[in-house]
Amino acid sequence: MSRPSIATLRALIEQRFPDATPLTGGSQTTEQVATGIGALDRVLPNGGFARGRLSVWAPQGGATAILRATCHSVVANGERSAWIDGDNTVAGAFWSDDHGLYLVRPKTRIHALRAAEELLRSGGFSLLILAGAEPQGTETVRLTRAAREGGAALISIGSAASMASLRLTSRLLSYGWRRSPFGDPAEAQHVTIRVDARAVGWNAHVQFPIPVTHHELRLSLESELADRRGLPR
Amino acid sequence: MSYVCLWSPSWPTGADFPADLVASLLLHAPRVAVGERRLVWGDARGLHGGQLAEHMLRVAGDYGFEDAHAGVAMTPVAAEVAATQSTTQLVVVKLGQDRQFIAPYPLHVLSPSDELAALLTGLGIETCGALANLDAEAIEVRLGLEGVRLWQRARADDERWLFKLPLRSLPSASVEWVEYGLKDPERLLFVINSLAGTVCTSLIERGERAREMALVFSLGNRTQRTHVIRSSRPSAEQKRWMRLVREALDTITLPDAVMGVTLRVESVTGNGGAQGDLFDRGFASAPAVEDAVIQLTDDQGDVVVSPENSAHPLLEQRTKWMARASRVSRPTIRDPQPALTLQLLPSPKVVTVDTESRRDHEVPVRYLDGNEWHDIVEAAGPDRVSGGQWSSAYAREYFRCVREDGMMVWLFRGSQQQTKDWFLHGWWD
Repeated sequence: MSRPSIATLRALIEQRFPDATPLTGGSQTTEQVATGIGALDRVLPNGGFARGRLSVWAPQGGATAILRATCHSVVANGERSAWIDGDNTVAGAFWSDDHGLYLVRPKTRIHALRAAEELLRSGGFSLLILAGAEPQGTETVRLTRAAREGGAALISIGSAASMASLRLTSRLLSYGWRRSPFGDPAEAQHVTIRVDARAVGWNAHVQFPIPVTHHELRLSLESELADRRGLPR
Repeated sequence: MSYVCLWSPSWPTGADFPADLVASLLLHAPRVAVGERRLVWGDARGLHGGQLAEHMLRVAGDYGFEDAHAGVAMTPVAAEVAATQSTTQLVVVKLGQDRQFIAPYPLHVLSPSDELAALLTGLGIETCGALANLDAEAIEVRLGLEGVRLWQRARADDERWLFKLPLRSLPSASVEWVEYGLKDPERLLFVINSLAGTVCTSLIERGERAREMALVFSLGNRTQRTHVIRSSRPSAEQKRWMRLVREALDTITLPDAVMGVTLRVESVTGNGGAQGDLFDRGFASAPAVEDAVIQLTDDQGDVVVSPENSAHPLLEQRTKWMARASRVSRPTIRDPQPALTLQLLPSPKVVTVDTESRRDHEVPVRYLDGNEWHDIVEAAGPDRVSGGQWSSAYAREYFRCVREDGMMVWLFRGSQQQTKDWFLHGWWD
């Protein structure tokens, strides 16, 4: 094809699709963003979350656990991920400070959405998790467009699933407990999680166990011992 | 030591002073000034004054001025007296002893005018110490401004500028106008934008990024107002600095029309970036990410954070969120495995809880959150945490409870006298 005809074709595309964004640079790839959890990747379409698309994961029920592992998996793969903690529920004691994982704690919901858009448009992130700040209506359109421009997989933890290419829900099914000598539950050690994934004309589900992390309770003794320190007698 | 004073009765002074001797002295002293009364000054700020004086004396000796004397002191007046009045070739005045050093010397070492010297002699003041002991107000009333200056020198309070300031090495740009005063912020921005363009271009050419710039307004009432603007990350981008200038202009009020503006860089950092890894798939996009993080930080403050955890017994008080430092190396988690972890509510939420007895304690069986009751199928605990008796005392009984829908929540009961309420503190997710 000669040079003038390429220019003509380009002008025609720009005229017909004014919102189209050309893929530039070598950093963008069509490869999916894998979660790093084999059982889950096997059931997700093409083995992961689609880049440049919005996926929605219903809150609670293990969403945070899986998505955090996904963030770390992305970083281990040499890319970057970001976690927007819109409702400031991330406990610092459980946050693993990874060099390619960025944690953003904005002050308000609007700030969270702005931060998400800024990071998505930068083109430097493969995965962005938006937690605690569910986009609505035109906000979703803007974020989806930013994700497409930046080539990042955007996952919103929420229930508003409009414009989402993939919808996921998860439930915690059964816990494995370490019992006390009296037979009471002392510590949950693992839990079986069920993930349901749906896209247009397609659905799948998977179950797998994950461990439960507990924090170190300082100044506490065994739960069965009566620790009366500091308590009124 | 700050000043080295050389004096010789035999060398010429002023323009007749040998230029090659000055050049030789400059090999040792960063700045040299040839003064009046056969005095030559060397700048010893940041240097060892005694050693510098020895070097300078040696150079003077090489040029045939064997009779040169040197004085080293924190103030010019003490250095001058040490050089000109002492019988030894080198005198170093002890740190902080300048006033005591010159106190016994007669007043003429301070070179007063003939009228003032006669007046002081008439008053019976003969030494520097005697003058220094007088009250400032008495000097001002009786001897006027010249007397006050002499009195200050007698107290070794000498702030003479012997050396010119070094030329400013950081980029700056300024513009002034005299025919009108500018009050319109938009026109002011237009002017500053032009200055910022010049300054940022200069920064880029030098391979530097500015951390701080000062915006100096010359006002119609012949005063100046200076506003320092800081960027969260060093930058040489005109767009970024203009955004910060615009934000600064939104918050300041100037008392008069602006007759001139100066934009000068206050501090810079090098343009070098962190060492990259060519096999890092994010390497190519690192500058874009850095820019995005800078933009976020400028807009929203330090929202890109990292936790700094302590060992505080209360989980919500363990973490301090600090701005994420870009150059801190962090380990990469190579084999990430998912795990349910605790999510904390920003502050514990009061809930209504029904309990039942289990041996010697009560365990929750259901709780009301909002308008919804949640049945609890398993409850582990209590985990008792107490402390803070010397500040704000706390005592809590924590329970890890699994709801009927599978969610594990973290409930606690306050066990202090002030509250026995139940709280929802977080959940595992």
